[in-house]
Amino acid sequence: MPVNNITRDENKAGGAIVFSSNGMRLNFREWLIALGVLVVLIYILVFVWGKVEKFEAGEDYRFVYKLSEDYWLFERYCELVCAEGKSLVIGDSVVWGQYVEKGETLSHYLNELSGEERFVNLGLDGLHPVAMFGLLKYYGGDISGRDVLVHLNPLWLSSDKYDLRSEKEFSFNHPRLVPQFFPAIASYRAGLFSRIGVIIERNLFFLGWVKHVNLLCFADDERGVTDFCGWLVEHPYENPFSDIGSKLRSWSGDSPVREREAGTKAERRYDLPWVYLERSLQWHYFKRVIELLRQRGNRVFVVVGPFNEHILEPESLAEYNEIKRIIGGWLVENKVDFYIPSALAEEYYADASHPDVEGYALLAGQILENGLWGQPGGN
Amino acid sequence: MLFQSWSFLVFFIVFYAGYLAFKRTRLNNLWILAGSYFFYGCWQPWFLILIAYSTCIDYFAVAAMERSGRKKTWLFVSVVNSLALLGFFKYGGFVVENLNQVLSSVGMSIRFAEADIFLPVGLSFYIFKSIGYVVDCYRGEVERERNFIRHAVFVSFFPILLAGPIERAKNLLPQLRRPARISVQDAADGLSLFVVGLFKKLALADMLAVYVDKIYGQPGEYQSAALVLATFAFGWQLYFDFSGYSDMARGLGRMMGFRIMLNFNNPYLADGLGDFWRRWHISLSSWFRDYLYIPLGGNRRGRFNTYRNVFITMLLMGLWHGAAWTFVIWGGIHALARCLTRGLESSLFYKEKVPRLLKQISVFVFVTFAWIFFRAESLSDASVIISRIFSGGLTGVGFPLFFIVMIFAVWMYQFVYESRFRRYINFSSVRICGFVFMILYLIIFVSSSGQSFIYFEF
Repeated sequence: MPVNNITRDENKAGGAIVFSSNGMRLNFREWLIALGVLVVLIYILVFVWGKVEKFEAGEDYRFVYKLSEDYWLFERYCELVCAEGKSLVIGDSVVWGQYVEKGETLSHYLNELSGEERFVNLGLDGLHPVAMFGLLKYYGGDISGRDVLVHLNPLWLSSDKYDLRSEKEFSFNHPRLVPQFFPAIASYRAGLFSRIGVIIERNLFFLGWVKHVNLLCFADDERGVTDFCGWLVEHPYENPFSDIGSKLRSWSGDSPVREREAGTKAERRYDLPWVYLERSLQWHYFKRVIELLRQRGNRVFVVVGPFNEHILEPESLAEYNEIKRIIGGWLVENKVDFYIPSALAEEYYADASHPDVEGYALLAGQILENGLWGQPGGN
Repeated sequence: MLFQSWSFLVFFIVFYAGYLAFKRTRLNNLWILAGSYFFYGCWQPWFLILIAYSTCIDYFAVAAMERSGRKKTWLFVSVVNSLALLGFFKYGGFVVENLNQVLSSVGMSIRFAEADIFLPVGLSFYIFKSIGYVVDCYRGEVERERNFIRHAVFVSFFPILLAGPIERAKNLLPQLRRPARISVQDAADGLSLFVVGLFKKLALADMLAVYVDKIYGQPGEYQSAALVLATFAFGWQLYFDFSGYSDMARGLGRMMGFRIMLNFNNPYLADGLGDFWRRWHISLSSWFRDYLYIPLGGNRRGRFNTYRNVFITMLLMGLWHGAAWTFVIWGGIHALARCLTRGLESSLFYKEKVPRLLKQISVFVFVTFAWIFFRAESLSDASVIISRIFSGGLTGVGFPLFFIVMIFAVWMYQFVYESRFRRYINFSSVRICGFVFMILYLIIFVSSSGQSFIYFEF
């Protein structure tokens, strides 16, 4: 009997209960076919997208700022630069170049001063060591047999908050990269199912691609849009998939450069509550970053700082120097090539840890002068 | 826990594993009860006190009806208790607010304290389910459930607890009394229903909600075309939201071997208002028909009494949806239209001469217009919307073309399904492609932050 002729009798007990008002129903065999088709289709979609979406890494290979949490894209970047035999510079916004344009970053000046286009900027804004480990572990598998310059920004050791050991909830960058359950991170207060979702996303490759598509095609910070529906309402007559390839190219120049803080001299000094390295989460994971890179056959060179010591109170400066000493000791003990540069002149800093343009040029010069890979140096 | 959340998925996996283990044992109903109470308690633990209290009162009232022979007295006790609960939690604030307004308007200085009473989610649904059971027992249409656990499961059955369907005892209790039988096809069918419901809710309803909320949030800022489209979109949003939930609920029940009644039957293909109410929220409309309209006399006592009964039924049905005058007016509009079109719809001219598509469009336009009162935040908002709709203006529409494509695709599917061309969309390949599309769409385009179900507010 046609569904639109339902009568009261059919809903009485003992009568047949109509399955549905539509024909969308599969039996067990059909479900298996559907799921099989789905899996194949997903593989094809991701593969084809990767081929269709051409992106030019652009000058300096600097990552698009708005895609800082697009780890699927980061993985493709790694694949690209490793295939080109480049040397990688990995770190947070200090490496990425918070206060400078492309062509003014550390990796740019390393290239310029060394006379070869060898170094690649793989910095990500906010990439603290705990997140760095997660990034390399889950998305940096292609980084093997390469020369890798890893930067440690001492800012992450400057307080329990930045060390992610504060009992107060702290909204830090890259929560999807940190350990979700063990070790427990005091500052991280995501719900149980949110964390499970993160782990699932890490292990299902296409979910990273889904995130990439949504970030690339639908996220619009200026209009407060974060998803497909929101994008459609803001662009009601546009096709979101038109010219997919151009989207990444059009964003490659769209990276914010923060205005440096007013004044070139520190107007006050700070007594930063430096962490004890033995208990530091960030330092622990930085060591794991080095171990991981080495396990994958990479040659690792570590650069620590230079922190803007001019803003530190004398006692705080002494603690910071002790930290540098311990870090240096560990690196020597573990035969890691490294360089811990002295603080730059005050006018070469944009804030507590970021150099300005000239600062990067100076720092690059110092690094090259002191030698990379095989020629340890430093304080 | 929303059905579309990770937490519900984990809950259901654990529950289902236990359910399969216990399904042919005496612990089966106890396990369902425990799961249902856990599910409900996750919303707010004190809700459990209310549902337990309602369950106990009705259970003992029906037992007393049977033993004492004073059926009417115990029916009265049970129904009054249920309505009192509903009245207090749902309408208490509304009554006090309106009373104060009346007192103020006649110049009296007395004011009653306006307490912010929190409406327990699902209350409207399980109270009506319980009332239906008690009345059926009173009428002798249903055998009293002697097992308290089974009775409690009937009231609190978690797939349908929060937003229906308002299942009848005569359908659900016999299934609870039998040992659970779950076939592979039941699991497949349940999954089919659940995925369709999930798609309707997350991909369609939540998508339309973005536009509807934007326009209805500030109706004075938009002109006629935008308001018309937002109203049109809301009609579909409401349908997808509620029927999506019903599908998910039925799917979960099906996976447990239960057949739960159909709640929506392509209502926007209705060719008359009577037909619309046989297709929209079937469990509620049939409840009002069986427990209010027919006991009032239905259409058996002349035209005037029929119209009176229609009005009472529809006004109360409107009020059931929420403690606001907009819902009452919505019910009143439907009542008026029903009374005016009753004769027409039963005429030979209407049945045979008027093209079906014209009838469907007319019903859809009317129902959509009535939704204005359903969605508007207040009476003044509703009047602003209506006046601006009729004052013209085509600018500021911004209705995504994609939304139109999706709604049209769904409408076409339903239209073809109810036509003689149904077999073309019932091919296995078409159905498989449909499910692959739905799941792929959900994976790629659906935000992780889903909206709550509209009918949870009722």
